[in-house]
Amino acid sequence: MRIHRQIRPILAALRSHRAAVVLLMLEIALTMAVLGNLVFIVYGTIQRSHEPTGVAESEIGLIQSIGVIGQDNPGTVAGNLAAMRAAPGVADAAYGSLPLWWVDHNPLFLDASRQHPALHAYEFQGSQHLNSTLGLRVVQGHDFDDGELPDAMDVYMGKATAPIPALLTESLARRLYPDGSALGRILYDGTHGLRVIGIVDHLRGELTGSAGDDDSLVYEYHVSTQDVGGGFLVRSQPGRLPEALHAAAAALQKANPGHVQNKLYTMAELREGYFRSSLAAGRMLVAIIVILLVVTALGVSGLASFWVQQRRRQIGMRRALGATRGDIRHYFQAENFLIVTGGVLLGVLFAYALNLFLMQRFELPHLPAHYLLVGAVALWLLGQLAVLGPALRASNVPPVVATRSV
Amino acid sequence: MYGYYLDLALRSLRRNKVLTALMVLTIALGIGTSMTTLTVMHVLSGDPIPQKSAQLFRVRMNVFPDDRFRAGDDVPDNLARRDAEALLHDTRGDRQVAMSAGSMAVTPVQGDPQWVQARYTGAGFFPMFDVPLRYGHAWGPDDDANRARVAVISSALNEQLFGGKDSVGQTLKVGDQGLRIVGVLGEWDMNPRFYDLSNGQFGDSEDVFMPLSTAEDMKLSASGNMWCWGNSNDMQAADAPCLWLQYWVQLDTPAKVSAYRQYLGNYIALQQQAGRFHHSGQADLRDVMQWLDFKGVVPSDVRLQMWLALGFLGICLLNTVGLLLAKFLRRSGELGVRRALGASRRAIFLQCLIEAGVVGLVGGVFGLALAGLGMLLVRHQPTDYAAFIHMDLRMLLGTFVLALTSSLLAGLLPAWRAMQVAPAAAIKSN
Repeated sequence: MRIHRQIRPILAALRSHRAAVVLLMLEIALTMAVLGNLVFIVYGTIQRSHEPTGVAESEIGLIQSIGVIGQDNPGTVAGNLAAMRAAPGVADAAYGSLPLWWVDHNPLFLDASRQHPALHAYEFQGSQHLNSTLGLRVVQGHDFDDGELPDAMDVYMGKATAPIPALLTESLARRLYPDGSALGRILYDGTHGLRVIGIVDHLRGELTGSAGDDDSLVYEYHVSTQDVGGGFLVRSQPGRLPEALHAAAAALQKANPGHVQNKLYTMAELREGYFRSSLAAGRMLVAIIVILLVVTALGVSGLASFWVQQRRRQIGMRRALGATRGDIRHYFQAENFLIVTGGVLLGVLFAYALNLFLMQRFELPHLPAHYLLVGAVALWLLGQLAVLGPALRASNVPPVVATRSV
Repeated sequence: MYGYYLDLALRSLRRNKVLTALMVLTIALGIGTSMTTLTVMHVLSGDPIPQKSAQLFRVRMNVFPDDRFRAGDDVPDNLARRDAEALLHDTRGDRQVAMSAGSMAVTPVQGDPQWVQARYTGAGFFPMFDVPLRYGHAWGPDDDANRARVAVISSALNEQLFGGKDSVGQTLKVGDQGLRIVGVLGEWDMNPRFYDLSNGQFGDSEDVFMPLSTAEDMKLSASGNMWCWGNSNDMQAADAPCLWLQYWVQLDTPAKVSAYRQYLGNYIALQQQAGRFHHSGQADLRDVMQWLDFKGVVPSDVRLQMWLALGFLGICLLNTVGLLLAKFLRRSGELGVRRALGASRRAIFLQCLIEAGVVGLVGGVFGLALAGLGMLLVRHQPTDYAAFIHMDLRMLLGTFVLALTSSLLAGLLPAWRAMQVAPAAAIKSN
């Protein structure tokens, strides 16, 4: 190969431009540091926005319905739920909490004295059928049995006498009871005792990216004649969500003329709203990434074309002495590769330093090594792309230049 | 002399248009990006009420019962009703107000009831926070005491319900009860909404303002943080063990501030003596800017973007340094001639710096345009602060200062290298 024989003269030539070369390497290193961290952040957000919550998202809708003070309202929760279930396309309905919709995040305690919280978890609570409406998968123990549910008023007032049956996620069960003995245990939240009757695979209250997202528990209570407003959940038959949600909302409004019904959401809309601002911030970061790459490419190619101009005579001489066009082009490409490699090596250090700084200030996770590898490859490609124009121009310098004075 | 250098700089820049354009573009991109993020930071961390921010204080205290108190815990943000009422009763500040967010359904003359955000507060709220009124006036302290059925509504709600006409004296129907409208707000753009950050930090003001006492009387529901440590059927009752009221006090002089701190200490001591708890209790007084800082109002992704944009500006500058260096050294022949003809090193240095400065200024102009574009982008983002982002005169001047300083900084090393050119060698090698 002829390229490796060129390395020595390249290094010699670079030594005479030491300052410019060091600057270029620094620029590439900084670019790599910023690029690696930015891509890591953006990719993390995108990944997070696709993480499932564990409920049957494509079939769930929410109706927010609030009572008006002073208006006598004939509806009761049980009646409302029955009316909604009777609507066309509706598979099930319940009153209660939904992921990404202000789920309570409360401390849990292992004993009744409640001195030291064991950890914080998302508490989903709602009427009978909450579990079947959400579509959770019970993987151990058993689902709620309508007969053993506490009465809603007792739960609201904190007067439930027996521990309330509850389902835990696998993640929460493992963290509370690492020995796997969760079933049948009693634990406590701020007000109630809770008895673990089963384990569900996943249920995330929020999608923050932390492992604690999947630490959730669910309990149901029995609603009958109360009149409450809040979130009514609809589970549609597969593929019929929009129509089922509107039909259920109409049925609910008919049963409750005294309720202000202001909002309908599908789970997909909730998710979109939840991630809207982080994805928007992500788009800003992508814009910065693109501009960054453009600037670095411009810098590399600007400097390279300068060097080409500066060395026209030498190039002409080499050509006159028998170097082919390819030799000249390869010379500049190899030179660029060497500089970028130096920058990339330095960039690994910079990227980790920047990551450490960001981890401290913004609670970001560690930058995985493969991002650096991808960053290095991207910069090598970018460098070669940027130098291609100047290198081609150099290879077009005619040998006759050597004999002319500049 | 400087005119001559400027002329030389312009000639030199014109001679290699592509390279000049590259440098200008690089600086413009760096400046545009960092000014966009700096402006967002500047707006978000700005003072929402500059004329009074040093006189308004958020009052917080930790008077938990012993079984809820843990030394080292944060002081809770809100007060229980009994403490808020005791402080209001003592009237030790120049003005004071206890308040909560709430929501209610209002029924228009025609159409369906609609859900609106409300603030249950006191007569002191309006003069304290310099709230402008378009029509009518705020309610008075007597109305607070008498639980008067009065309300002040936002201009948006006035527009919606009364077509923007003076609605003072009209009735606002809340369920089957009514509130007499005594005032309509003017434009009130309080962002960040420092007086209660728990219900959205940015955004429009509430639609209905009414006395806290009246809201309690009408059993309207409060919203926001409600933190209870015991069982209570009515969480808003006078003796309920619940924290839910924001308390602000206006203290006009530093002497009054220290007197008020003293007073809060005494209040806690009295509670302790009365046997309410045995721990030492905590009181906390913060003015508006301290409060905003404490609550971390600037979103973390905005701070992240700012740091990244500054890093990006650094990269752009390195880029410019490299290009300037190449450019100046390429001209060593010309510089050698100037040196040989008697120009001092200082003169060469200045000449090169002026060239860098011109690049910086032109880059600044383009950077400003790019920042304008960036701000347009930010304003179209779905964030709650998007609508408030704008550039003020300070940021405008800041753009040029940043552009000029950074380009001069970038020019330092190349200019220094250029002035080191040895005249004889430079001329000979040509």
